[in-house]
Amino acid sequence: MNFKKKLERMKPHIKKTTEKPVVQTEKLPFLDVWNNHDTFVYQSEDHFCLIREVHYELDHRHGEFKLSSLIKAVEMWNRSDFNHSLSAKGYKAEDLFFFDTETTGLSGTGTTIFLLGYARFDGEKIILKQHILTDPSNEVALYLSFLENVNYEMLVTFNGKSFDWPQVKSRHTLIRNHVPKLPETGHFDLYHAAKRLWKSSMTSLKLKSIEEEKLGFERKEDIPGYLAPAIYFDFVERKNPEGMLKVLEHNEKDILSLITLYAHISAQLLGNDENQSSSEKLEAGKWYKKEGEQKRSSDYLNASFEMDQNPSAAYYLAMDYKKQEHFERAISLFEVTLEYGSPREQRESAIELAKIHEHQLKKLDQAYLYTMKAIKALDAEDLRQERKTDKLEKIKYRMNRISRKMRK
Amino acid sequence: MRKKTLSEIAENFRNDKEIASQIIKWHTIEPKEAVYAPLPDQIHPDLSKALERRGIGRLYSHQAEAYQAVSDGKSITAVTPTASGKTLCYNLPVIQQIMNNKHSRALYIFPTKALAQDQKTELNELLELAEASINSYTYDGDTPAGIRQKVRKAGHIVITNPDMLHSAILPHHTKWVSLFENLKYVVIDELHIYRGVFGSHVANVIKRLKRICSFYGSDPVFICTSATIANPKELAEKLTGKQMQLIDQNGAPSARKHFVFYNPPVVNHQMNIRRSATLEVRRIAGLLLKEKIQTIVFARSRVRVEIILTYLQELVKNELGPKSIRGYRGGYLPTQRREIEKGLRNGDVYGVVSTNALELGVDIGQLQACVMTGYPGTIASAWQQAGRAGRRQGEALILMVASSSPLDQFVIQHPDYFLEASPETARINPENIIIMLDHLKCAAFELPFNEGEAFGGIDPEDLLEYLTEERVLHKSRGKWHWMNDAFPAHNISLRSASQENVVIIDQTETAAHKVLGEMDRFSAMTLLHDEAIYLHQGVQYQVEFLDWEEKKAFVREVEVDYYTDANLAVQLSVLEEDKSSETELARVSYGDVSVRAMATIFKKIKFDTHENIGSGPIDLPEEELHTNASWFSLKEELQDMTDDRVEQGLIGAAHALKAIVPVHVMCDPQDIQITPQVKAVHNQLPTIFIYDRYPGGIGLSEKVYELGSTLISEAAGLVRGCSCEEGCPSCVGTEISLTGGKRDALILLKLFAEAMESNHEL
Repeated sequence: MNFKKKLERMKPHIKKTTEKPVVQTEKLPFLDVWNNHDTFVYQSEDHFCLIREVHYELDHRHGEFKLSSLIKAVEMWNRSDFNHSLSAKGYKAEDLFFFDTETTGLSGTGTTIFLLGYARFDGEKIILKQHILTDPSNEVALYLSFLENVNYEMLVTFNGKSFDWPQVKSRHTLIRNHVPKLPETGHFDLYHAAKRLWKSSMTSLKLKSIEEEKLGFERKEDIPGYLAPAIYFDFVERKNPEGMLKVLEHNEKDILSLITLYAHISAQLLGNDENQSSSEKLEAGKWYKKEGEQKRSSDYLNASFEMDQNPSAAYYLAMDYKKQEHFERAISLFEVTLEYGSPREQRESAIELAKIHEHQLKKLDQAYLYTMKAIKALDAEDLRQERKTDKLEKIKYRMNRISRKMRK
Repeated sequence: MRKKTLSEIAENFRNDKEIASQIIKWHTIEPKEAVYAPLPDQIHPDLSKALERRGIGRLYSHQAEAYQAVSDGKSITAVTPTASGKTLCYNLPVIQQIMNNKHSRALYIFPTKALAQDQKTELNELLELAEASINSYTYDGDTPAGIRQKVRKAGHIVITNPDMLHSAILPHHTKWVSLFENLKYVVIDELHIYRGVFGSHVANVIKRLKRICSFYGSDPVFICTSATIANPKELAEKLTGKQMQLIDQNGAPSARKHFVFYNPPVVNHQMNIRRSATLEVRRIAGLLLKEKIQTIVFARSRVRVEIILTYLQELVKNELGPKSIRGYRGGYLPTQRREIEKGLRNGDVYGVVSTNALELGVDIGQLQACVMTGYPGTIASAWQQAGRAGRRQGEALILMVASSSPLDQFVIQHPDYFLEASPETARINPENIIIMLDHLKCAAFELPFNEGEAFGGIDPEDLLEYLTEERVLHKSRGKWHWMNDAFPAHNISLRSASQENVVIIDQTETAAHKVLGEMDRFSAMTLLHDEAIYLHQGVQYQVEFLDWEEKKAFVREVEVDYYTDANLAVQLSVLEEDKSSETELARVSYGDVSVRAMATIFKKIKFDTHENIGSGPIDLPEEELHTNASWFSLKEELQDMTDDRVEQGLIGAAHALKAIVPVHVMCDPQDIQITPQVKAVHNQLPTIFIYDRYPGGIGLSEKVYELGSTLISEAAGLVRGCSCEEGCPSCVGTEISLTGGKRDALILLKLFAEAMESNHEL
């Protein structure tokens, strides 16, 4: 079959995937440029890749924080007497492995990781390394060099649980007969942590936004991450490191931010941030509750409530008091939420108040009044109509029961 | 009043003068005794216990044969009519294998999600009876994210569909290592469905699957089951690239079946026009439904389904509830379809009006009668539909009601031809360059290509080089690597060659727009244009606005007494002639053509009377299609034949060919198009084009060229044998106005046949 001829004709029917230029060259030109940027060749048999290595002082300031703040955070965790899924208790700063990749696209077997970057603490300095895939046929060297270098207990990433690490596993599977196994490790994913703490108060949870708002770090002349694939395709074609150096810089900043972000989130969870907002205290309290640390949880919720009468904190505290059957305290806190909370919190606390008055205090008139308040709050909620109707029916059911009891 | 039994109704049909006189043939298929074989000795005791609990103490002969062949490591294709216990052909060897080795894995591929669900239920029942700790899961778009990981790691039997394999499993194969390392069996059910464009795509998906298996060191045995087609072994081998053992001696018993050929009465003798099949079906199906005989009515198009549904619901609304008769077709959403399937099984639904979606082996249980509105287009399809009746009953009634179309009239007037003919050949063309190129991209995404590596027997180097030039791949040290930020499988749909579907949006309620369904682009040109009446579940909608750019059709519920029917104008030009043969008078060729199609006008046609009550323009851009075609040209002016006569002859010959071609090239009548042109653009000669309706072609028109004069002679036979005087819808059509149109069509057909015969001399 003569495909070439057919192809010419069929061109309009064939969907173009891209317009990016890619050609091949054998040798690696511009080696001097690489060397001038702390980057050297790693060779294994006939495969090779590049490794860039730079060192940072502990005193290095990355935005508002020094890198050494990490050491303090790890120490604090080690002194703590409670559990938390982000706790570094039992680890040394040297055990943490701050890891970030750059890839040619979204997840899927065909997406290539062309940059594996990481930092770890080593005595009085921090070593940051970046392994660079110069050409897709050199993947074995990339992973060999990476696996020879890694010696760690705990990965620290930003969204690495669902993206970077599964993608590493996927690419590793393709060449698993030529390289050692990937180590089993723990994993702190700071994206999920950030989501817990700041989802309610921040509009964007991109690393860049967090850097700006929480870490006091602003990027200058940074290339946006979405350009990385195009830059890499161009690099594979022309071999000129110019664009890649920018990608390396971007990746380097990401990794440094992982260090100070972990330190900062730890400070949030360890009561070590003097500027912690009421909302952050509230979220930390909710998080500890999820972790099963009741004492820590109520400390944070109380702190949040004391700070500015936070109605959400009042609600969670009230739920605790209710469970412990401290009804009077529960009532006064629910009242706060009912007055100042969001419509949804108002409805929920009104219902809780109705329950307590109906079942515990047997004050049916009061209970009835609270159900009316619940309906009013529901009215102000932004819900789909069917969900609203559903909730309304439940409240009315309660109302009817109370009024039946009242007539008795 | 007591309801009549099926045999009583059948008897009534025979005795009712009005009905009986229209019955061309009453063919009774006698019940067939079962042929059994003992359960093989080596069957695991837990498994044989489970079979016993299901009342299976021995196997049908074909099940035993399948088991033996698969145990010997052979790939097989079992030809299994409806209700012949085909599932044991694969479940038995698969479960046996997993019971013996817990690491073994199997992959089941069903053409639709509904079928996969159905089979999972059946499989799980068997596994429960066997008290086996074997996990079988469906993996499709409905599988919750939470259990996907479990399916990937621990599913012994993964049940999926080709689309899911293509877009979710293969591109993420590194998450399925335990499946691919231990894959022993791949089951492909409903093999005959994989023909045409869909089959050509799936053959490529399977090439990719085998490539991944070989990367992980497995080499699975393929087990295929198919309805009766002429070439099950060839199709399976082309689809899987594996040598197949054919198992076609069926051991299952079957019920007594009455196959009745019904030709509606002639209402206009001069024009040989018959009463509409739709109206006749309404009457006959109504008689059955009123006696609460569970009946399935098949119609060829979506529009027909909805029209008949409306009729029948009206007819029996007092006897049975409105929900007791339901429509069932491709455009419905899955939840609606499940509900109907359930209603059929538990008896809440008495009647179903369906397109061929139900031809597939969904288990809907007890149907006693089957009524076909017109010949379904292929012999295999007709038998599949007939198999819907009498799965469990002692007796079944199958009625084929012919329409006036030449194909129907050919079949109804030659019932023995239908009953004795070998069924059609299923064609696929995995080497369709557009389809193959798409899958090469996917394959390169999944694993880099090595220099010299074949892709299912084809050397793909030219294509890989092309993709390299297009900056999709990067070649380095003898390997082609994916070097692009796209996810190729997401842009490739297996179900059509034209990718984008039109979404149908109901805006009857301003505040609550909802999606009714989807339709492919080509069909949308004629079914969803502005002002078209679109029928869905018997409800009429008018298309208020077709947004062609955004591929959305906005519809609103209406109540009108008509439906719409649109015309498509077609322009053809020849791009390249690959093969040809000729005489002095005619030339027959095969090659590549460009087709430009444009929807022109639509007509409003009244229900009941079917009269034309208005029309309007359709304002849609032209669609261009590059495909394969066979074409027949008259070379010289024929002596004593005027231009007018030539034109009439061409139209007549084309009309007759339209009837014959789909019979011989197993395909939907819409898959292949036949267009006569008085002056073809490329040679200025009178020409008939027969072309594949999909970009790049799928081998249908090539088959037309290969079949050569047999096909033309059959068409001539159809025209010659028709009882009409000067042409009718059943032979040369009604567009012919001159007398002698029939004769001229025959002259042209003869010339073409001679040109084709000279094929071998050149």
